[in-house]
Amino acid sequence: MSRSVLVVGEPRPTGLVPASREAVAAARLAAEGGAVAGVLLGGSPEAVTEFSRGGVTGLWVGSDASYAERRIDRWVPAILAAAKSTESEVIVLASTGFGRELAGALAVAWDAAAATSVTELTPTDEGLFVAMPVLGGRATSKLRLAGPRAVVAIRPNAFGAPAMSGEAAPVESLSAAPPTPTLAGRRVGFEANAASQGPDLSSASIVVAGGRGLRAPENFHLVEELAEALGAAVGASRAVTDAGWKPGTYQVGQTGRSVSPQLYIAVGISGAIQHLVGMMSSRVIVAINSDPGAPIFKIADYGVVGDLFLLLPALTAEVRKARASG
Amino acid sequence: MEIVVCVKPVPDAETKLRPAPDGRTLDLEGAKFVLAGYDESAVEQALLLKDAVPGSTVRVVSFGPPGRTEEVLRAALALGCDTATLVESPPLAHSADVRSVARALAAAVKKLPHDLVLVGKQSGDSEAGMLPTALAQALGHPGFNGAVELKFDPTQKLFTFGRASEAGLERWECPGPVVLGLQQAGNDPRTAKLQNILKSRRATLDKVSLAELPTLDVAGATAEAFQLPPPRTGAKWIEYKTPEEAATKLVRLLKEEAKVFP
Ligand SMILES: Cc1cc2nc3c(=O)[nH]c(=O)nc-3n(C[C@H](O)[C@H](O)[C@H](O)COP(=O)(O)OP(=O)(O)OC[C@H]3O[C@@H](n4cnc5c(N)ncnc54)[C@H](O)[C@@H]3O)c2cc1C
Ligand SMILES: Nc1ncnc2c1ncn2[C@@H]1O[C@H](COP(=O)(O)O)[C@@H](O)[C@H]1O
Repeated sequence: MSRSVLVVGEPRPTGLVPASREAVAAARLAAEGGAVAGVLLGGSPEAVTEFSRGGVTGLWVGSDASYAERRIDRWVPAILAAAKSTESEVIVLASTGFGRELAGALAVAWDAAAATSVTELTPTDEGLFVAMPVLGGRATSKLRLAGPRAVVAIRPNAFGAPAMSGEAAPVESLSAAPPTPTLAGRRVGFEANAASQGPDLSSASIVVAGGRGLRAPENFHLVEELAEALGAAVGASRAVTDAGWKPGTYQVGQTGRSVSPQLYIAVGISGAIQHLVGMMSSRVIVAINSDPGAPIFKIADYGVVGDLFLLLPALTAEVRKARASG
Repeated sequence: MEIVVCVKPVPDAETKLRPAPDGRTLDLEGAKFVLAGYDESAVEQALLLKDAVPGSTVRVVSFGPPGRTEEVLRAALALGCDTATLVESPPLAHSADVRSVARALAAAVKKLPHDLVLVGKQSGDSEAGMLPTALAQALGHPGFNGAVELKFDPTQKLFTFGRASEAGLERWECPGPVVLGLQQAGNDPRTAKLQNILKSRRATLDKVSLAELPTLDVAGATAEAFQLPPPRTGAKWIEYKTPEEAATKLVRLLKEEAKVFP
């Protein structure tokens, strides 16, 4: 049974957040051949191009600068207007921080069943079946979202993005004026992150993380160089952030970020449970550690026992070589 | 200032992870229920604001089946919350419907004076991260999740906080009533004194019964399966004589076997 599905694109300065493109793939599964429209609020021209060629059958654009403030009371009415025009039964978003804020508000405003961090999605006549990691990635829960409406926020890296098509889907402007905020609250400032090189930690498809085994802050460049060679984001254990070698935004784990990349490389990290719960749902885990008894090896797929000061430069060189030769 | 904190009863870290006999949820037989993670920070943040603004009251609210919900409410009282409200859930069976939780909590919160409603950024078990804005929507209040560095300016009666985005940190200010999902309280949560734990055991809890709640669509989202990952069998070891050999072998495996090489 096919159905219409709406994908909410989340803009970022250079286009769309990658998980929004992946949301299109999830939406196509949910649609079972039905229409997959996109809605983009306040995105750049690059984002419009990327979204309209990214596998949707049509794109609704609301182009008011105020959407950049990411106010729920502006976004929810605009999304619901697009859902109404497209007669959508399912709304799919990226399970980013803002995507989860929208999902919660939409569940109540649209009177829909909702789920976040979704890694699998199967439409059936009894509703959408979705799976998501729970309990810090130590288990998987499967839910049934009974109809008639459902909101699904998908976890980055769980669904591959559909190929970009040569032809752009038709783009229409949302006809209504952007909703005026109905609720109190003002955005009074913005502090841009220190120009971080490379992809965002939470959504990167590869993460290279370093721990106390690096011994001193001036050695951390070894981790950063490997990350750069792989096009990966850089993470760290709490031993590293607590010591001030790297800011807290790098921390992976229970009291830091949760990540679930395709590939996680842990370097000089012992694998304390508080670290593991933040990265255990990564698809493939590589550990580099001089201690063969380090707990990280229990959850790693590939283990290299040895001195990171010798192994990292060799690995970085090999990665550069392999990528250069395709 | 009138503060309401919502906390969810979640099984403690010692709980053995295994599916319940029907295979649909975590087996909670014999589990101990606690204030966990972000909820603990939210309670701590509420108590810090209370310490900073004399005459404030902190009321804690939780929605769930009586036994376990009472356990976490009493833990919050022992930490210094002033009153506790137990919102009795219908027999939930396998419900995982965020709308129902938001509507039930909203019905209870509406009856309490509140300038600020604090919740965790995400719960310790399901980690959905939806309730903060769902509750705000159900109450008709502004709501934000992922708040950091929360402060109250008593002269202007404004809450100020940061809200992280991929590009940086937004600074917001908002008068009450507002719902905030707390990402970080920048503190080590206090521990309860023994005498307060004993006192909390005898405290009377306020109750909101099923009859007082709106009709809830608890079957809107239901748990169908709870699965543990196949045990990781342990690492495949890379044998090598030189670092270069280790690097070549690893890159080949990532490319050809794991297929995760960029
Ligand atoms: C409430 C709480 C919350 C916490 N939250 C987090 C969290 O969010 N994230 C987090 O990461 N931690 C967290 N921790 C801390 C956690 O328990 C560990 O202390 C921390 O993860 C250890 O970091 P590490 O692995 O870098 O350091 P260590 O445990 O010291 O490990 C260093 C490793 O480097 C290896 N090594 C040393 N030299 C070399 C070399 N030359 N070559 C290769 N390997 C080498 C060693 O064999 C060792 O295994 C938390 C702790 C608590 C109590
Ligand atoms: N049943 C509940 N009772 C009270 N508060 C809850 C309940 N469920 C969730 N919350 C609050 O909402 C936050 C986010 O929950 P969630 O959206 O489930 O991840 C939690 O940290 C709690 O503060």
